[in-house]
Amino acid sequence: MEARLTRLNYNEILMYLGHRGQECPAELEGQIHRCIEEVMKASDPRLVYRRLPVSNGEIKGFPLEGKDMPEILLHCQEAVLLAVTLGPRIEQLLMRREVTDMADAVIMDSCASTAIENVCDHFEFDLREQLERDGLYLTDRFSPGYGDLPLHTQVRLCEALNTTRRIGLTVTPNYIMIPRKSVTAIMGISDRPQKLRKRGCEVCSMFLTCPYRKEGGSCHE
Amino acid sequence: MNNLTLLDGAMGTMLQAAGLGLGERPEIFGTQHPEILEQIQRSYVDAGSNIIYANTFGANAHKLAGTGHGVEELVSKNVAIAKKAAAGRAKVALDVGPIGELMEPLGTLSFEDAYAIYSEMVQAGERAGADLVVFETMTDLYEVKAAVLAAREQTNLPIWVTMSFEATGRTFTGTTVASMAATLDGLDVAAMGINCSLGPEEIYPLIVEMRKWTDKPIIVKPNAGLPDPATGGYDMDEAEFARQMAKFPELGVSILGGCCGSTPDFIAALSGLTDAAEDIRSERKRGVCSASHMTDFDGVRVIGERINPTGKKRFQQALRERDFNYIMERAIEQQDAGADILDINVGLPGIDEAEMMVQVVKAVQSVVSLPLQIDSSDPEAIEAGLRACNGRAIVNSVNAEQDKLDGILPIVKKYGAAVVGLTMDKSGIPQTAEARFAMAEKILENAMKHGIPKEDVLIDCLTLTISAQQEQAVETLKAVRMVHEKLGLHCVLGVSNISFGLPERNNITTSFLTQAMYCGLDLPIINPNLKPIMDTVVSYRALSGEDANCEAYIERFANVEPEQKSSAAPKEMTVETAVLKGLKQETADLTEQLLETMSELDVINQKLIPALDLVGEKYEKQQIFLPQLINSANAACAGFDLIKLRIAKRGGESVSKGKIIMATVEGDIHDIGKNIVRVVLENYGYQVIDLGRDVPVQKVVDAAIAEDVRLIGLSALMTTTVDSMRRTIEALRKSGHDCKVMVGGAVLTADYAEEIGADFYTKDAKASVDVAKKVLG
Repeated sequence: MEARLTRLNYNEILMYLGHRGQECPAELEGQIHRCIEEVMKASDPRLVYRRLPVSNGEIKGFPLEGKDMPEILLHCQEAVLLAVTLGPRIEQLLMRREVTDMADAVIMDSCASTAIENVCDHFEFDLREQLERDGLYLTDRFSPGYGDLPLHTQVRLCEALNTTRRIGLTVTPNYIMIPRKSVTAIMGISDRPQKLRKRGCEVCSMFLTCPYRKEGGSCHE
Repeated sequence: MNNLTLLDGAMGTMLQAAGLGLGERPEIFGTQHPEILEQIQRSYVDAGSNIIYANTFGANAHKLAGTGHGVEELVSKNVAIAKKAAAGRAKVALDVGPIGELMEPLGTLSFEDAYAIYSEMVQAGERAGADLVVFETMTDLYEVKAAVLAAREQTNLPIWVTMSFEATGRTFTGTTVASMAATLDGLDVAAMGINCSLGPEEIYPLIVEMRKWTDKPIIVKPNAGLPDPATGGYDMDEAEFARQMAKFPELGVSILGGCCGSTPDFIAALSGLTDAAEDIRSERKRGVCSASHMTDFDGVRVIGERINPTGKKRFQQALRERDFNYIMERAIEQQDAGADILDINVGLPGIDEAEMMVQVVKAVQSVVSLPLQIDSSDPEAIEAGLRACNGRAIVNSVNAEQDKLDGILPIVKKYGAAVVGLTMDKSGIPQTAEARFAMAEKILENAMKHGIPKEDVLIDCLTLTISAQQEQAVETLKAVRMVHEKLGLHCVLGVSNISFGLPERNNITTSFLTQAMYCGLDLPIINPNLKPIMDTVVSYRALSGEDANCEAYIERFANVEPEQKSSAAPKEMTVETAVLKGLKQETADLTEQLLETMSELDVINQKLIPALDLVGEKYEKQQIFLPQLINSANAACAGFDLIKLRIAKRGGESVSKGKIIMATVEGDIHDIGKNIVRVVLENYGYQVIDLGRDVPVQKVVDAAIAEDVRLIGLSALMTTTVDSMRRTIEALRKSGHDCKVMVGGAVLTADYAEEIGADFYTKDAKASVDVAKKVLG
């Protein structure tokens, strides 16, 4: 399956920028659209994934900490390990723009966050479709840092997928993925339909850093 | 027996087939199952491998951390197994892969740390008896440079390097084939090439490109075709592999092997290939480069002169205040204006030039992709700059003095740089073209003696000011022509000096530039931001035929709109409105108008800051959101820059309401939040000392004490790095330095901030201004 990046969700970009319904002047809209274009041009989405057997909620050869993941995988026969990155050019673009125009940089950062979600969503959609043809079902996508799946799982996921060699993705000793606009995730594959959780905070990549959640709210109220 | 050198094939896939588990370390597995490893390696020797790679690819300190195994142990054991398998029938290479962590500027691993990690490995490899070292599957040219220098300086092993490319001709980090080849050719490795990444057919065009940039022996070690994306497996068989590989010896490539998906059968199939043809390059290109951008020497190439403190008060201030953002802006500006190479000069009394050179080189190459020209007369600063430089640089300069030549040329050779030679010596600049030509000859002769190729010797015949020595202009031009025609060397010239002291300087400068280019000047050192000068270069390229079909000329001039001389701001607009709307040009214009009747400080305190306060208030009330807040800050910044420049020109003290240190803490690289705060604080008149990201605890303490800073701002985005924040605060307290600490970052809360000992929690940029006002006034 190829990494696909399509038109970015404009509202999602506004959400990342902390928009709370303020009026958005035409010049700003223009600025955002220009930033979207530049981000799309600087993105080189790549992904690598691997299917592994599961029994009793445990991925064979890849034990996981926490209760959430085994619960999700409980009725699964397989799991998919996934790593996605937008590549380093986007990082370079951001570093440069942070020097010349901070507002552009902030907007582009949000665009890039939206873009990486976009690539993940496409992968999930494509895989779901492929599996359904075989009568199989996909669970939610769960990333290190969501729920009680520890952030350091990222290191092992990257090792298991050989991400340095396959897509140029590395992890620092503080579990920061570089290039930063990258995602690792795990999904389960089952022979019976999976109850998908409502898209909510627990399965959101902003779980740890969301300003809305910090204020006690959420972006989807 | 033919003249091919055969390497081995895949190791990882063979070990997996023999039981290596998911995520398990091959280097540890190998020492636990020496019989399996030896059997695999012997099968490669049996298949005809002349050189086998020891199972040491990931045996570096970074990857082994937490495994309970050491570098020395795994390297020595794995090399010993390989030597046993080779049994004298094949040589054994210490195999070294990427460290596994991305280097600065994108990552947190510093050049110096990478050097140390590689040093440990190559020293262990030499002790273990490896015959050579191969750095393979590399994707970052900067990491390769650290690796090659470690092997060069710490061992006597022959050095081979292969990198992995995508079909686009770039590695994951953006390194191009040309940049790799030119840089490694300069660093004088024994052989270079490509491994992994692609199949032989896809690698072929990349090797054709590589051969244009180096005379070194070339290595090809491809995968068995492209992997099946779902399974990761390879389905090419050895016959097909050998068929595709047969094209390489025809090119003159004589070092062949296999990577992922290949087996001993693949190597056996290669042994049936015919001899390599004589390795003759039909086309040999040269130039200087960054990792991702090559500036070849095949035409007029502009060297931007703006990163230089000489005669520039504002730049001097930036160097003294370590305001690297200002310097980075000058770099970006010049790249955008059309520079091909950037000159870097940081010489200023009272500044540690070597240290500053490293900082500036790193800062500049984090934001522009142009190759650099290290401009200094201090050998120590030159070496420091060359070392920090990612790619292949120019050294500016040596002159014809023997001790200068003897001191600097070995450094130029060691780092594989090109070098500018000034046609002067202790007695000064000769008055005749002939005497300057003689000095050029001497410089060339000395360079060649040190093994620097002729094509990398760039001669500067020196421009003198016509307002002082009018007759010298023609001598300079004549000397350029002689050096160009008789020696066939590239010519450098600092052009703008010609018009010093005269009115409307561009008239003289552009006319002289045109004549000099016609005489053979191809590397003018100029200010690319001056439009008439760049127009001259672009026009010259059209006339010389370098700009085929005048494409670049047409692109530059076809849709030129007449310049608007009048102010961009409508008459009725106030500076407050301009700031509020985030209009940069208008704010600058209106600030300039205000400065006609108001003092700088009054403009700041009565106009710009109240405007920002209004913006901050609207932001707090959620009437506007983040991008608008920053657009306004940017606009105010345009006004502020104007004021700073005026004051600097006057030689006055910089406007500052107090110093604030800003840092993204150790281990964290998310600094966009910190940068937003910096921009806003600067606009309130505070001098922000930006220490950057991933800042070591001690560096914050040292800077706070050295600069006597009373307010420190720390930022962290990750739960894992908030602890660095706590440690930084602790160290500041322990030092006894009297200061307040404000903290911010996505994972922080007011409670958390208190828990780690911060004085203030700042939820956004606006809040940090409130804190600054409270602490510093």
